Amino acid sequence: MNKHSESEQKLEQVLQQALSGLPPRRAPSTLELRVANELARRALLPWWRASFASWPVVARVMFVLVCAVLVVATLLGGVSAYLGDRSLDEISALLLSWAHPFLTVVSSAGGLMALLVHVIPPVWLYGILGVGAFLYVTLFGLGAAAYRTLYLSPSVGNHS
Amino acid sequence: MRAYQDMVFSTAARLAGNDSQAEDISQEVFIRAYEHFSDLRTSVTAGGWLKTVTTNLTLNYLSRYRKRWRLFSEMRPSTQDSDDEGAELDWEVPDSVLADLSAEQRSAIVDAALRQLPDHQRLPLVLYHFEELSYQEIADKLNVSLTKIKTDIRRARAALLPLLQSMGGARDTLDG
Repeated sequence: MNKHSESEQKLEQVLQQALSGLPPRRAPSTLELRVANELARRALLPWWRASFASWPVVARVMFVLVCAVLVVATLLGGVSAYLGDRSLDEISALLLSWAHPFLTVVSSAGGLMALLVHVIPPVWLYGILGVGAFLYVTLFGLGAAAYRTLYLSPSVGNHS
Repeated sequence: MRAYQDMVFSTAARLAGNDSQAEDISQEVFIRAYEHFSDLRTSVTAGGWLKTVTTNLTLNYLSRYRKRWRLFSEMRPSTQDSDDEGAELDWEVPDSVLADLSAEQRSAIVDAALRQLPDHQRLPLVLYHFEELSYQEIADKLNVSLTKIKTDIRRARAALLPLLQSMGGARDTLDG
């Protein structure tokens, strides 16, 4: 065992001795009253304003059933309103017509990118990527520095 | 409730490092206990149940902040953290600390010192030394790696000892 490990082990033992056998802290005298008041307040609430877990079983089952029926009815109603009595071919054509604008945008964006890569000199592209990376790292570093300054005490953990 | 309220409050206060939050958590623990009163009334493990619920509620209470500090706590400024495995204690560890004080005096100093540790050091340290969980259990509870837990506890000890020494010394001076 090297000196470092011995020091770590000794530190653990010393702290274990200091931290063991400590009496519990005394709870605030207001705690009991706070709990009693909160229980009384919750007891006065109607069952439907209490947490779902404390609802009567019948009410919980009914609630789930009603929700399920509503969800299914909404979905079926929405689908039938959109599709009506269309045939399968018509539905496929409708889906394709919805997808067409999206595909056009993707294809245009791809063409634009290819054009830019072709027109802009490679050195410029590398420069833009470098600046972007630099800004990202700088902002990340500023965020970390702000976190350490605002949330962490500089004295803690630095005892040399 | 009276038999357990000090234990519940202590556990929450040492983990959270904040008395106001600890009181809120303790209130919620006893409300949950009331909801399970029929089971707990005759149970010999009621104390353990209360301690577990207190620990879990406190961790849940703090979890909204945990993702934020987990990222940044792993970034090491050169003045504070050296290599995880090779971090040397560059000062002599004393044979004892606060040994000549009463338990009540030690308790007051320890609680004040714990409040000065950041969450990512205080939580695993309290779970290890007060709740007597293993490193692996703490890592599972806090959902962080075993290596990080060991590192955080090591750093917490290294930060806590000088705090205890300075606070104990100040207490001796005041008492003397």
